[in-house]
Amino acid sequence: MLVSWEWLSDYVDLTVGHEEMATRWALTGLNHESTELVEGVPVIDLEVTSNRGDCLGYIGIAREAAVLLSQTLRIPQPAPTESGRDVADQLQISNRYVDGCPRYIGRLIRGVKVGPSPEWLQKRLRAIGVKSINNVVDATNSVMFECGQPLHAFDFSQIRGGQIIIRRAEPKESFVAIDHKTYQLDPDMVVIADSERAVALGGVMGGVDSEVTDQTVDVLLEAADFIPLAIRRTARKLKLHSPASHRYERRVDSQQLDWASKRCCELILKIAGGELQKGMVDTGEKPFAAPEINLRADRIIKVLGIEVPWSTTLDILKRLGCSVIDGGANGSATVLPPSYRMDLTREIDLIEEVARIYGYDKIPEDAVVPMVASARRPKDTMMQTVRNVCCGFGFSETMTPSLIGKTPASSISPWSDIAPLSTMVPLLEGASQLRRSLVPSLLASRLHNQQQSNKDVHLFETSNVYLPVASGLPREQFHLGALGGEDLREIVGLFEEVVSRVCGADLLEKEIQKEVVSWPFLQPESGVQWTLDGHVLAWAGVVSRSIVDGMKLDASMGVGELNLDRLLTIAREVPRLQGIVPFPVVDRDLNLIVDESLRWLELEQAVKSAAGPLCVGIAFQEIYRDTKKDGEGKKRMLFSLQLQSATETLTSQQADEVIQRVVGRCKEQFGATLLA
Amino acid sequence: MSLSHFLAALDELVEDATRSLASVDSTETLEALRVKFVGAKNGALKSVQKLLASVEVPDKPAAGKRFNEVRDTIQAALDAAAAAVGGTGSGKASGPKLDATLPGLRPRLGQLHPITQTIEHLKEIMGRLGFSVTEGPEIEDTWHNFVALNIPEDHPARDPLDNFYLATANKQSASDHDAMLLRSQTSTVQIRVMESQPLPMRIISLGRVYRPDAPDATHFPMFHQMEGLWVDRHVTMAQLKSVLRLFATSYLGSDVNVRFRPSFFPFTEPSVEVDYWWNGQWIEFGGAGMVDPNVFAHLNIDSEKYSGFAFGLGVERLCMRRFGITDIRDLYRSDVRFLRQFAS
Repeated sequence: MLVSWEWLSDYVDLTVGHEEMATRWALTGLNHESTELVEGVPVIDLEVTSNRGDCLGYIGIAREAAVLLSQTLRIPQPAPTESGRDVADQLQISNRYVDGCPRYIGRLIRGVKVGPSPEWLQKRLRAIGVKSINNVVDATNSVMFECGQPLHAFDFSQIRGGQIIIRRAEPKESFVAIDHKTYQLDPDMVVIADSERAVALGGVMGGVDSEVTDQTVDVLLEAADFIPLAIRRTARKLKLHSPASHRYERRVDSQQLDWASKRCCELILKIAGGELQKGMVDTGEKPFAAPEINLRADRIIKVLGIEVPWSTTLDILKRLGCSVIDGGANGSATVLPPSYRMDLTREIDLIEEVARIYGYDKIPEDAVVPMVASARRPKDTMMQTVRNVCCGFGFSETMTPSLIGKTPASSISPWSDIAPLSTMVPLLEGASQLRRSLVPSLLASRLHNQQQSNKDVHLFETSNVYLPVASGLPREQFHLGALGGEDLREIVGLFEEVVSRVCGADLLEKEIQKEVVSWPFLQPESGVQWTLDGHVLAWAGVVSRSIVDGMKLDASMGVGELNLDRLLTIAREVPRLQGIVPFPVVDRDLNLIVDESLRWLELEQAVKSAAGPLCVGIAFQEIYRDTKKDGEGKKRMLFSLQLQSATETLTSQQADEVIQRVVGRCKEQFGATLLA
Repeated sequence: MSLSHFLAALDELVEDATRSLASVDSTETLEALRVKFVGAKNGALKSVQKLLASVEVPDKPAAGKRFNEVRDTIQAALDAAAAAVGGTGSGKASGPKLDATLPGLRPRLGQLHPITQTIEHLKEIMGRLGFSVTEGPEIEDTWHNFVALNIPEDHPARDPLDNFYLATANKQSASDHDAMLLRSQTSTVQIRVMESQPLPMRIISLGRVYRPDAPDATHFPMFHQMEGLWVDRHVTMAQLKSVLRLFATSYLGSDVNVRFRPSFFPFTEPSVEVDYWWNGQWIEFGGAGMVDPNVFAHLNIDSEKYSGFAFGLGVERLCMRRFGITDIRDLYRSDVRFLRQFAS
């Protein structure tokens, strides 16, 4: 709301400078956006919150100023001189859409002389950036800015049958507005029609054939109350936003219609001449029924934490226009808000009024805040570990949008076979799919870095994925997603460390089932899936050639995801001491020649079972191939066993026995040969 | 020769050598001891090595291993003694010269995203003020995102153009009661917590929220909010102001003043914008207010008995100010040249 300092002073004595006033408004609810000098007059831009439609006019702003400055508000009392005949004999108004337009007032001025507005009016409108049209239209705009009530002037000669009908738009009805554009209407919209056709779109825009022009002699002045929802929908749908629709959307004061109508007539008579016909046509004033609100002094203390003197409380409310019906000295009053403050319906609303005028600066900032315990959630403890491990392993944390677009990677969905949910409006260009996996986002991130020539990109993200369910809200599952280099072991190692730190190494070693998976988005046999009690805990794999090529990535890479919600359910609170075995560990290296097809997982299981309880660790070392010596289709697997007894120092003989069993089993099961 | 005899001889040798070498005080003594223990012809080590041949074959690996250990131990003791008397010990260089000025070995560590760092910081401060962390879903129904927050059906905040409603096969209308949307504010968590947890409560909730803003340097359609809520029998606006001041003082690290400006939010009354006076200027912090009685009514909480305050702030703004980030879009581009700058 642009406020000209000069115009405002019509309604209140501004006893402070405009800068101080702007600050005081800001601290009482009218946020100060900016101040500019227009033709030497300060014009202040105030932000009016959507509950304060009363401040979309000078009188409302002046009222706030008057309250803050303890000045008297001057509201003009319009008394236009009536002459001519009764309006009722010349104009009929019938309201067939009371739900959309509860009240409509028409007045008629005959014999106006349309022309330019006087300079003082043009200057006022210029100051607030409103274009001067002609004296009649300018008068309607001027009164709208004065009191917040939009008004519309019709060329009465274009109103066929002398009749105004307020109705819903017909299906497929179209309408040519003042801007010469044709709009398609729908039956929720309020149409102002004459006996033949629509002449205005109620509360939004007038029609091109009934607008006031230089030829206009007789003017029909509309002052109406349109309901916010109808106006909002219409303005949105047709993209027709105007100062009038802005005010209707915030609700106008139905009790003020007649005042605004008379005020506007008075101004038209003054600057455009003519004869105001006697009386008006009113479709019916709805009796004003402001709620009686009971206000308690002790409630104010309970809400604000400070005591406002009771007399000050009542004084503030009265100055804001409330009637105090019963202001008993016992700290309780019955208060009736004014018709222009439709936002005041409850005790708490009055308390806010008292607080903002009394001043929030009087609320202390050193009140007692009792201490309470607040424990860290197990989830936060787990997340600290997860993030520490990821960072320690050289992965950078990233955050990516929750919605993804269609790319070769968007089919990656190991957690759900159900089609992804999508939003009606995309989050970003093309991105309207709620992701079911973090990996597509990580691949997009990888691509971005590649395009920037960034090397050594290792990324992780902890975020939700959204898994569709049959009905109701989707399942949001909290994941760790990771993307590494070409060696899948980076991802596997990261997940092993995370699980082992969060849940203990035993869980990783003994309870998690690992299996090789072949999914279309991974290179053949490159995927591994971890399950626990039959539920997937994690997966990792090397991205398929077709995705790499389809996204124009410059290399294949390991990726994976770990379900952190699931991990949390098996997290241990703190590590517990397991005891230290006082006997030395014996390390034995083994180098086996095996078939190329043998997987570590199978070998490890066989070795573990053959080695028995003395084997406390199996450490993979490396694989290498020497086809000249070992022949095609063979590889060498090097690993070491850690042997230890809990009760004695192992002799080399005991160790040898274990090794012999292991070598024997590997020979038997896999045809493995021990390399001396 | 049995293994045990051989090992005993080695033990004796290593004990003798380390003891004598520990007390060397001149290069002459050192050289004498060197000849005595590791001399090429008649050194004690050489003599023991000869015995190795007579150890039985199955025991040879163990014996050899122990011999190597003893040899290394004696050499180390010699080197240490040489260093102690300032000589070169064995008299010849033990390898290429060390350049201690070479840069250290530094495996590349990762680092946390600046938003995560900000969120953890906020959680830590609010935790000290007694606020526990809670969470709620990012995809919400209209009841939790609007109705219970006192945002009725005709409210502009519910407009389909201002929200990310989910498209479903049979309904496309945002006004459906069972319509779902990406939450537009973390205030939804207030409702979920008050539905499910006993009073009194002091909680914060941090997470992603979504609003259809065209991306530019200060807007992104996905961002993070922190929501705080305290409901108890006697919670006042004075306590709201005091908690926010304690928070700001902790976060900004020096004593900070708080200013309230009246505002309007459907779910609080009175509603205020909160500013901090810091470094000579007022900085916008976020919105706050006393929980609106209508919100309590939706949750069957008696607003005569209970009162509460709520506040909400944008995490990105705090984060950007803290780390000197000027374009919000950089936060979500995953560019490692950006991410690596926040190692801390």
